[in-house]
Amino acid sequence: MNPALVAIAAVTIGGAVLAVSARDVRSATFGLLVVLLGVPLIADPWPAPLAILVRVAAALLATRFLLIALRGDLTSGGTRIGWASEALIGAAAAIVGVGSHGLGAPGLGPAAAQGAGCALAALAIAPLITGRDVFRIGIGTLLLLVAASLIRAGLEAPPSDAEQLIGAMLTIGLGGAIAVITVAARSAGGLTSFDPESMGRAGRPPDAHRPPETHQGSDAERLASQRPIDAQREPGPGRTTRRP
Amino acid sequence: MTVVPFLVIAAMAGTASLLVRDQRGWSTLIAVGGLILMTAAAAAIGSAASIQVGGTLFAGSEWLRLYALLGSVVGLLLVAIDVSALHEPDVPGVVVLGIGAAVLALAIPDAGTAVVAATAGGLAGVLVAAPIGAAARAAFVGVRELRALAVAGSLAIVATAWLARPLDALSDVPAAFGLVYLAFAVGVAIRFGAIPFHLWAARVADAAPGVALPLLMAWGPAAFAAVALTWIDQSVAPLDLALGTEQALIAAIGAVGVVLGIVAAWIQDDLEHIVGYTIAADAGYAVLSLAVLEPEVWEPARTWLLIFVVSRSAFAAWAVAIHGGFGTRRLADLAGWVRRAPLLALALVVIALATVGWPGLAIWQTRATLATLALPDPLAVIVTIAPLASLAIYGRIMLIGLRQPGPAVLAGRGDRPAWPEPLPRRPIVGRGTVERGFERAAHAATGTLDVLWVLPVAARQNRMLLASAAVFVLAGLALAVSGGGLGVPEAARAVPSISQPGPADPGPAEPAVSDGAGPGDGASGEPGPS
Repeated sequence: MNPALVAIAAVTIGGAVLAVSARDVRSATFGLLVVLLGVPLIADPWPAPLAILVRVAAALLATRFLLIALRGDLTSGGTRIGWASEALIGAAAAIVGVGSHGLGAPGLGPAAAQGAGCALAALAIAPLITGRDVFRIGIGTLLLLVAASLIRAGLEAPPSDAEQLIGAMLTIGLGGAIAVITVAARSAGGLTSFDPESMGRAGRPPDAHRPPETHQGSDAERLASQRPIDAQREPGPGRTTRRP
Repeated sequence: MTVVPFLVIAAMAGTASLLVRDQRGWSTLIAVGGLILMTAAAAAIGSAASIQVGGTLFAGSEWLRLYALLGSVVGLLLVAIDVSALHEPDVPGVVVLGIGAAVLALAIPDAGTAVVAATAGGLAGVLVAAPIGAAARAAFVGVRELRALAVAGSLAIVATAWLARPLDALSDVPAAFGLVYLAFAVGVAIRFGAIPFHLWAARVADAAPGVALPLLMAWGPAAFAAVALTWIDQSVAPLDLALGTEQALIAAIGAVGVVLGIVAAWIQDDLEHIVGYTIAADAGYAVLSLAVLEPEVWEPARTWLLIFVVSRSAFAAWAVAIHGGFGTRRLADLAGWVRRAPLLALALVVIALATVGWPGLAIWQTRATLATLALPDPLAVIVTIAPLASLAIYGRIMLIGLRQPGPAVLAGRGDRPAWPEPLPRRPIVGRGTVERGFERAAHAATGTLDVLWVLPVAARQNRMLLASAAVFVLAGLALAVSGGGLGVPEAARAVPSISQPGPADPGPAEPAVSDGAGPGDGASGEPGPS
């Protein structure tokens, strides 16, 4: 196995771990940038310089969209099981991916690509299924699609230049879509993702806290007036608060 | 001519339209200009013209040409209706980009690359599903649409990659082939929002602008389904494996989608929900077509995709015109709409004929063939006649429209023609014959100018009439396509000559490359039925 590819795959998985773990949205975005920069390089042979430039430009543009949407003092949900656990999940999935290279038949691409793809897919599951804010779900969708493209790189022959261009379009589209959704959510008061119309039926707000008795009116109205969930969360272990 | 000019125009016009989104008039103008150019470029696409760009083949075909042409014309009419009725932000640019991305996906014979393009194109829809500056519900809807796109795209990417190699050891394990076949088909069902994967689509139908619904729920997913159909035809069907369980599961999803989609549309009270669920119901036939591995499915499946996108676009456009004219989408508030909008009532009748059809019409025969090929007899009959229940949906809308007009309808615009108050005639005050002659000529000239000056006002006063006329044209187009006109069956039947390497054909195929070639050059974009 090519050690350089293994190193790039490891850095890419590290970026994904950062993206799904960090509460600070800028750190999470930096993790996504690392992922998007690393993905086209986990290939054997490497793409042409022009194709790499296009992918780098697409990665920078996508993360720029995200940063524009995330201006200000915002926090995301982050992981609930800690970055170390996420890293272990990623590592385990990467080993499974490398071990099953080709998925039953000889793979035409590098095993490191399939390993990184499996790792990213495993890391994407939690944000996709349990994500409570739009940015975190967006991270999950981006990682899932990137993981699929990495698994494809491990199974198939290296993509052509035009395919790299289409991959760059997908990257920019993903960044733009997540940014648009984030801006829409922020205009309603935070990154929280909930359906105001279903709140009456749900009977429980998405943050699982019992609503204060002083609040009157529908759940939807109450949630719309609340701060983002993360602003209410108790500080985690190791963090101190300065309460009077 | 190849498909490249079409793609370039779509990319440039769509991007420019969205870049100037703050100036809605310019944004719409650029998109309309782009759609006109796209129509011309689509008409010029050669059915056998192909070109290799950056190591990837972009190939035309008769079906692709018709898809691009109908997409451009329908997009143009949708934008015109939107401008006349509601003028939603960002919609024109997204329509241009969405159609362009769908054509890009269809032009790439390699299914693995095509699904990436189709997924990227679907992302444009998020811009209208979760518009900038909207509220929490828009973000909720947008993020669920994004999740559905990502899941569907990932399933398709991995499935196509898995089967794109010489699969030495796995040829004897049909379960693995069945799994990837099922994965891609389920991905298509998710993209369509077919029942039981309809929750995200139902919310999109509620939150997205009505004029964007055909793009989000029909045109984009139809391109995705066409890629799946091609992939199944060239990579799965030739294996001749026993995939009965997977086929039954896919057929069940399709059949349930058809029947329950119609039921769901029947119980809705909101026009856009009705449109959304009828689209989901019709999408069930597209899913059914994926459950068939015989070559007989090739023509009806591709015919159905074209009929589906055009006829459902017409119904969505009708709902937009009603919403724009009367300011409401709720059926309860639309009592008496037929009396105020007779042209739209006529258009609804045409749309009902185009979407339901009758035995012998292309749409009916196509649905019957798909149902017969995919399902056992009793179920096939039920699924074939299920669209007749749609008549109850249209009849309900029409009956409500025949009641006494309610407050919303009375306050609405109506589609009867109106003309601004004419300026009063000026008296002739000249004394001599010559002077009076000059005066009359001057009055005639200024009177003509006065008429020209009031044309914009007249257009504003007749917005509903213009929208109704555009809906009527679109309904006529839908009826023509549903009846098998415009060369739809011939385009769907065409058997192109390029074959792509698949599991049964591990050797790399060297495609013939031509530019602007006519028929018979031996190059075309899509594989034929195996």
